Amino acid sequence: MLIIRLSTIIVVLFAITYLGFGQERLSNNLQPSLSPVTWERLVNAANEPHNWLMYSGTLDSQRFSRLDQIQKRNVSDLKLQWSYQIPQIDAAETVPLVVDGVMFVTESPSNLVALDAKTGRPYWRYDHELPEDLRICCGRNNRGVAILGETLYMSTLDAHLVGIDAKTGNLLWDTEVADHKAGYSKTAAPLIVKDTVVTGIAGGEYGIRGFLDAYNAATGALEWRTHTIPGPDNPDNQTWAGDSWRTGGAPTWITGSYDPSLNLIYWGTGNPAPDWNGATRLGDNLYSDSALALDGDTGNMAWHFQFTPHDEHDWDAVQVPILADINLYGQERKVMMWANRNAFYYTLDRETGEFLVGKPFARQTWAAGLDEKGRPIRLPNTSPTPEGTLISPPVVGATNWWSAAYSPRTGLIYVNSFDGEEAVFSRDEEYEEGEFFTGGGVQSVLPSDKHFSAIRAIDPKNGERRWQFPIQPMSHAGILTTASDLVFSGSSDGYFYALDATSGESLWHIALGGPVRAAPMTYAVSGKQYVTIAAGNVVYTFGLDD
Amino acid sequence: MATHAGATEIQNPFDVAVVDVKAGELLFQRHCGTCHGRDAKGGHEAGGPDLTTGNFQHASTKVGLFNIIREGVDGTAMIGLNTREPDQSVWQIVEYLNSLNIALKKIDLPGQPNAGQQIFNGKGKCFTCHMINGQGGRTGPDLSRIGERRQPDKLRLDLTNPNNEVGPRWWTMQATRLDGSVIEGLRLNEDTFTFRIIDKNENLWSFSKATIRSFQRIEDSTMPSVEQTLTVKEIDDLVAYLASLRKES
Repeated sequence: MLIIRLSTIIVVLFAITYLGFGQERLSNNLQPSLSPVTWERLVNAANEPHNWLMYSGTLDSQRFSRLDQIQKRNVSDLKLQWSYQIPQIDAAETVPLVVDGVMFVTESPSNLVALDAKTGRPYWRYDHELPEDLRICCGRNNRGVAILGETLYMSTLDAHLVGIDAKTGNLLWDTEVADHKAGYSKTAAPLIVKDTVVTGIAGGEYGIRGFLDAYNAATGALEWRTHTIPGPDNPDNQTWAGDSWRTGGAPTWITGSYDPSLNLIYWGTGNPAPDWNGATRLGDNLYSDSALALDGDTGNMAWHFQFTPHDEHDWDAVQVPILADINLYGQERKVMMWANRNAFYYTLDRETGEFLVGKPFARQTWAAGLDEKGRPIRLPNTSPTPEGTLISPPVVGATNWWSAAYSPRTGLIYVNSFDGEEAVFSRDEEYEEGEFFTGGGVQSVLPSDKHFSAIRAIDPKNGERRWQFPIQPMSHAGILTTASDLVFSGSSDGYFYALDATSGESLWHIALGGPVRAAPMTYAVSGKQYVTIAAGNVVYTFGLDD
Repeated sequence: MATHAGATEIQNPFDVAVVDVKAGELLFQRHCGTCHGRDAKGGHEAGGPDLTTGNFQHASTKVGLFNIIREGVDGTAMIGLNTREPDQSVWQIVEYLNSLNIALKKIDLPGQPNAGQQIFNGKGKCFTCHMINGQGGRTGPDLSRIGERRQPDKLRLDLTNPNNEVGPRWWTMQATRLDGSVIEGLRLNEDTFTFRIIDKNENLWSFSKATIRSFQRIEDSTMPSVEQTLTVKEIDDLVAYLASLRKES
């Protein structure tokens, strides 16, 4: 109750301070746009909900906004305010940032544009020059940027990290993170931690050796690197047969979270390589498919929790860790909430990595359950074979990289989930630098319309489902929730919609045409709340008419 | 689209053997299967299109396919192999994809297509629901090019056991409106919030799921089995006729 009361007070204060009760609506801006984003502003991002200062909104990645101008009673009045067309045809996966009236949108393949957040009209654009010999597994995507001071930080498909001047789009520095010819690439938004840019790597289908890096925000120089597959000096290296650790994958291709009170960075890792042939890498394959907790200054590992030991189904633990303090069994706990691609939902203690709650949230046929430490009890005959093995969840996962959301008001986590199945095949494959190294493949048995998909509201205290809203046929979209108890999301059939966060009741929807593969975000300019989503290659922004 | 040097002027310069098609399949699975699916029928995760229909969005010839595989398609998720594989390997992938399009000359069937055509338009009454080259009914799949997409054994199964594999387009949706009246028809399209059907009188209907009392999806086929109405020979003839239906026919 105390939390709710405090949040109510903060919302009221925010409304007085920032919204100005509509005095500036329809007028030109009275203040210049874009002021420097300090580390303190990032730590307290929840206190300035008119801005969306990082990929997941806040360092705890709840994707919960205190804005409440758009409410259950008026959400059906939402109207299109502006749209911005991305020149590339790909389905956009971007989550824009908004800083004091300026929106930063990443575009396929590795470009960046700054827009007036009120009108969608551009200030500037940065086009990143890419080589022709990219190695990318799953589309030419970029999911967003980070900001510190007046510098934006963006990953690029050629495995570089660039610093861009937020006022002009000028390139400040360009650091090669890894060799793209060896199968490394970068698609995820970085995360600012103090004065460093923390950023992951993709390439799990190319037999890379994964890592998480921190770069000096001013210079782009590497500060630390923590490999997600330990070297021979670490006993955990013994979880890889022979030299398989050298090409074992475990990428870090989505953005993590940070807890300032514990000074811990939390990040998920992806599949071991080769994806579907585990015979060449016997063992648990640490730290693939794991949640990692790393020291915010050194990158040293505080703890790890592996969701899927010796994964043979490409079930990356590449989901955004959601951090919250909840009362569990009568005790206040600092927890991490995680709906995993392997179809199990987990609540972990984020100070220690202790397993607290685990339960399937979608259809799965590979495990009898989880043991008392959260390790899956694997069923026999579920490994890929040359002839094919039918398994749930399919490769796309029970969920995947698309962001879940958590509302401290409802106490629920919201997840786009899929009850599918697929045949998985193994094959012998030699590692060859820069080439696909998957050791197999998948084949759909039934049309996707045969399967069931839904947004599910899960209670993190016990993993129970509170409600679900069916999606036809499925969704690759992230989720946003707000202080007015709304849930926003989208779906592959091109809808953008709002649900009641407490009941799952449908409140509003609009057909945007293109498939939604991005996550919604919300912000306010001159006292007016907006909600933005990318669908197809268009960024749409909605608001209430003045 | 950029083209690979020399490729636009030539056909496949290499002899094509069965082993090349197999090699192309393995190369496809390694380089292309992640997006297009291991069996080239499209990928759920990455959204690569189905490549087994013989119709390619960006290429109409083998050379065009070669260029796409080599160079990719600008402005889309399709990246090319660039120079990482020799020309022969790229041609092997082309030949593999070409092999997925069912060629008539590969098929040795017991039935007679001409006799099958008479059954289609006569005793079998197939034409009442199915259209071929613009003639016939529209409450079943258009069969004008069915021979390119469906192997003869699958066609036989479709005829004798229509419920074995019913595509979502041919499911039935039943809408119960607020006044209790029921509208039923073939499922033209369904999404999260709405669906559209064509009823048995060939009327089009569009429904919002939220503004009707209920809806039901029936995943059975509306087609009866021909096992009770046609002889084995007649079924053979009908299969031969359907297998012959393709663009060039």
